[in-house]
Amino acid sequence: MNKIHLGAVSDFNDGEAKGFDINNVGADTFFVVRKGNEMFAYVDICPHYNDTSLPWKRHMYLDNQSQHIVCAAHGALFDIEDGYCLQGPCLGQTLRKVPIEVSADNDIWIRLTTIEEFNL
Amino acid sequence: MNIIGPDKLIFGVDDVEACRQFARDYGLAEQGEHSFVALDGTGIEVRSRDDESLPAALASGSMLRKTVYGVADQATLDQIKAELETDRDVKVLEDGSIELLDDLGFVLGFQVTVRKAVDLAAERVNSVAQCNRGINHVGVSKDHKPSIQTLSHVVYFVPDPVKAEAFYEKRLGFVTTDRFTGVGPFMRPAGTQDHHTLFFIGTPPHMQGCEHFTFHLSGPTDVMQAGTNMVNKGYQSFWGPGRHLFGSNWFWYFKSPFGCNMEFDADMDQHDDSWTGREAMMGPDNSQAFLLQYREKWAPAGGPPPKA
Repeated sequence: MNKIHLGAVSDFNDGEAKGFDINNVGADTFFVVRKGNEMFAYVDICPHYNDTSLPWKRHMYLDNQSQHIVCAAHGALFDIEDGYCLQGPCLGQTLRKVPIEVSADNDIWIRLTTIEEFNL
Repeated sequence: MNIIGPDKLIFGVDDVEACRQFARDYGLAEQGEHSFVALDGTGIEVRSRDDESLPAALASGSMLRKTVYGVADQATLDQIKAELETDRDVKVLEDGSIELLDDLGFVLGFQVTVRKAVDLAAERVNSVAQCNRGINHVGVSKDHKPSIQTLSHVVYFVPDPVKAEAFYEKRLGFVTTDRFTGVGPFMRPAGTQDHHTLFFIGTPPHMQGCEHFTFHLSGPTDVMQAGTNMVNKGYQSFWGPGRHLFGSNWFWYFKSPFGCNMEFDADMDQHDDSWTGREAMMGPDNSQAFLLQYREKWAPAGGPPPKA
């Protein structure tokens, strides 16, 4: 097996995000967001300092209306679909997008090579 | 001017219930529908960002909508009003407080302070020569609940720290205690000896807003216990625990739903007008004497494991 199962699309409500700690380092290293029927994944590091994670509590990556990804440290807002920072300290920068795959039967997978490449 | 320090920070937030729960878990007491207060009555006000009673938001989207300073008496309030209405609009609100914009566009309020005289004792530490805590008084327990004593300071991201410093110094009588070169000053108003109630960090204009705010606790043990309580409730540490160099305050910062970090601090240096300010480059080496990292409780136990 060259990839890891992250769950099913149906495990996420529309407008829900979840963090993942695949290597059990004690903190989530990336997160997956569902928007409609599309899934997006990003490294859990805010480009403001490139050294700190986004949420104030586990899985709290989105604003109250699930319109944007939020960094809780200083309130940066990011577009869910491309990770572009629309407001906040890192305006104009982007979250690092993580490639994931959604199979025909709506399972979500990440490749081992991606985990290694992104140090997740 | 006898300004004592921040009495209240007013926020217009995205997720009111998350912020209310965060404030409770931080250790503040609920007071009325919107306020959360420390032991002495200083605190924060949490409202929805579309609450029409709030002053307008900064263009940056910062959730901090107003900083309210406590002053010693009505005479000080009158003095501030007289000073600032020479070049800007100063509103007198129904509660008798005044409201105005500083030179950077932050909304400020001034009121006769709400600070109550309560027991804000410092943590007591024994040493070889001094038994400060008293005989048979234990220093720590698992059941101890840290007390949030008073609103300590607020830190602003500002596009022009020189202009900001000039306003608070020349118009409000704040004193610069120390400075990070090219970044900004630590300032205290005349009515307190705390190293700072205000610190500016120079940034691009789109960042203007609140970097963090914090309350004083009784000492480092309470900072550690309060922070540990937050971690155990699932909140995520941003920086700390550790001890700053400028101000000597112990710190532990947490990310928050207020769109800024919320810190616990304790044991800040006290200064008077004889203090000579210092200056240093901002960076890891000058920002803290040491920085620790939380880990789950663990203990060494007994000898090596039995041989298989």
